Amino acid sequence: MRDSTTSEPWRVGVLFSSSGFMAVIEDTQLRGTLTAIDEINDAGGINGRPIEPVLYDPASEALAFGRYAKKLMVEDGITTIFGCYTSSSRKAVLPVVERLNGLLWYPTLYEGFEFSPNVIYTGAAPNQNSVELCRFLMERYGKRFFFVGSDYVYPRESNRIMRELVHHNGGQVVGERYLDLRAKRSDFLPVVRDIKDAMPDVIFSTVVGDSTVNLYQAYAELRLDPKTMPIASLTTTEAEIRAMGFDVGEGHITAASYFQGIDSKRNLNFVKRYKKRYGDDQDTNMCLEAAYFQVQIFAKALERANTMDTEILRPSILGSEIEAPQGKVSVNPLCGHTDLWTRIGCANRRGEFDLVYESQAAVKADPYLIGYGRSIAFG
Amino acid sequence: MNRRPAMQIRTNPTQRLNQGAPRPRDEPSLESGPAGGVTDSAQEKSGSDHPFHREFRDLDIAVFTARDQAGEQLLRELQRTRARVQHIWPIPELIPVSYDVIYCDLLNDLPQRLPWLPGKPDTALVVIAAATQSLDLKLLHNCAPHAVIHQPVTAQAVLASLLVGRGHFLYERRLRGRVDKLDDNLRTMRSVERAKAILMQSRSINEEEAYHYLRRRAMERRVTIGALANVIVDSQELLG
Repeated sequence: MRDSTTSEPWRVGVLFSSSGFMAVIEDTQLRGTLTAIDEINDAGGINGRPIEPVLYDPASEALAFGRYAKKLMVEDGITTIFGCYTSSSRKAVLPVVERLNGLLWYPTLYEGFEFSPNVIYTGAAPNQNSVELCRFLMERYGKRFFFVGSDYVYPRESNRIMRELVHHNGGQVVGERYLDLRAKRSDFLPVVRDIKDAMPDVIFSTVVGDSTVNLYQAYAELRLDPKTMPIASLTTTEAEIRAMGFDVGEGHITAASYFQGIDSKRNLNFVKRYKKRYGDDQDTNMCLEAAYFQVQIFAKALERANTMDTEILRPSILGSEIEAPQGKVSVNPLCGHTDLWTRIGCANRRGEFDLVYESQAAVKADPYLIGYGRSIAFG
Repeated sequence: MNRRPAMQIRTNPTQRLNQGAPRPRDEPSLESGPAGGVTDSAQEKSGSDHPFHREFRDLDIAVFTARDQAGEQLLRELQRTRARVQHIWPIPELIPVSYDVIYCDLLNDLPQRLPWLPGKPDTALVVIAAATQSLDLKLLHNCAPHAVIHQPVTAQAVLASLLVGRGHFLYERRLRGRVDKLDDNLRTMRSVERAKAILMQSRSINEEEAYHYLRRRAMERRVTIGALANVIVDSQELLG
């Protein structure tokens, strides 16, 4: 039913932690979301109606995400939610949106092997970051890997995939450690000492949140050299590099769909607008960018559907294409994941990433790695 | 009432002792005993020949509804199924979940009183709605019940709501279990493949023999093939 008479806002839910140990990165996702919403509203809204975000702070507590999702859908009457960084928080929201038939927009890379008809995934699946990162690391640094991760779903699942890739290509995992999500620098020191003893070629880190900073600082404290033994990560973005200090981050490797330093008109514009709003010392990052462009995709789909009814909105989203700051991306209709760019960056002294690899176009999402064997084509 | 009722009904001893005292507002009382007006002969007449009644007999049912005429009628019909029925009133802020089936009035804040997340129910939920009032469909949707019954109830409607509500809950639970299992299988299949490749290489055997080895060893050790495959992949890694 097309209703052109109302100017009622389109209400959407937003669930990112502004407090707790995930706030460093989730707060940037919140900003990315709000920036996109403001830009859309400034341009007149969607079919003449503004977007109105309803925000809650789950304070880095996975179960709180589930409770707030219920509150959003049951009490606030909302069907579309933007949110979640950790896989545990996504898994807490999943049953709620599935049972009440809502939509969760998830702007974070994750370990793959999931498909929910009630989620639009706009972060990278493993085939869009891990596969290429593993190839690059083996070629550039060597085949002995040491895994360090936070102790929850994503690092273990992600390492399972990485281990497969490393092992099948003649590499070796010489050590593996998992630390609490709240691990301090003093907790990382003995781990980094073990790493020093094991002398791997690469440290593959799936440490997330505040403790990321502590790992890199412990590494710097023990004077390891990123030129010969870098920390490689799928989650360390410009936000974490800023938090740890540019000198601490320099020389370490991250694979991501987006870096602030991407040299395109669209991205330069995006970064400029962001800095104008939040300050010159504030950087963009991959999670923020995904949080930003997913709202744009939502807006375009909503304009066509003109209803928040999930049954009508979702088909309108699938197959959507958009010029994101990272380049052209599209929502893959087969799996509800987004076809994204693959890039690998090396952090420089200014806290930005210098590109060392870039795909030629967006890479098709393959969350179950159906089309990927375990061997990497070295070239 | 000295004689033990024909079907087992939970009683709350404290409540029995304080029968005359006014009920504290926040503490829900557990009313017990057969609903007024039920005679033993009526219970005996209940269709115990119905094949589902054996299944119902083992159920713990909690009923959260006012004990007016319509409420009594619902309790009576539920008791006739020979399930263990417990009446709880007033309705607590958080509905307790230690029952097989919960019958509860469609309160305006029922979703908030349900302690579980939608999609992860702890128990089957049948919502009680008044036939005379207009139905809040949005509210009903948000409760995500497994069945709905309208008051005043009939014997048939009560039986149907119990069968369908419990059936849906169990079916949902089986489906969720299946999805979890499938997710698990997808991951372990990659490990199994990997273990197979390791075995083929290290023992110079063919694919069929490698699978056979995995099956036999898993059986001997009483573990799943997936678990065994993980061990093989991990130990291969330790050995380098």
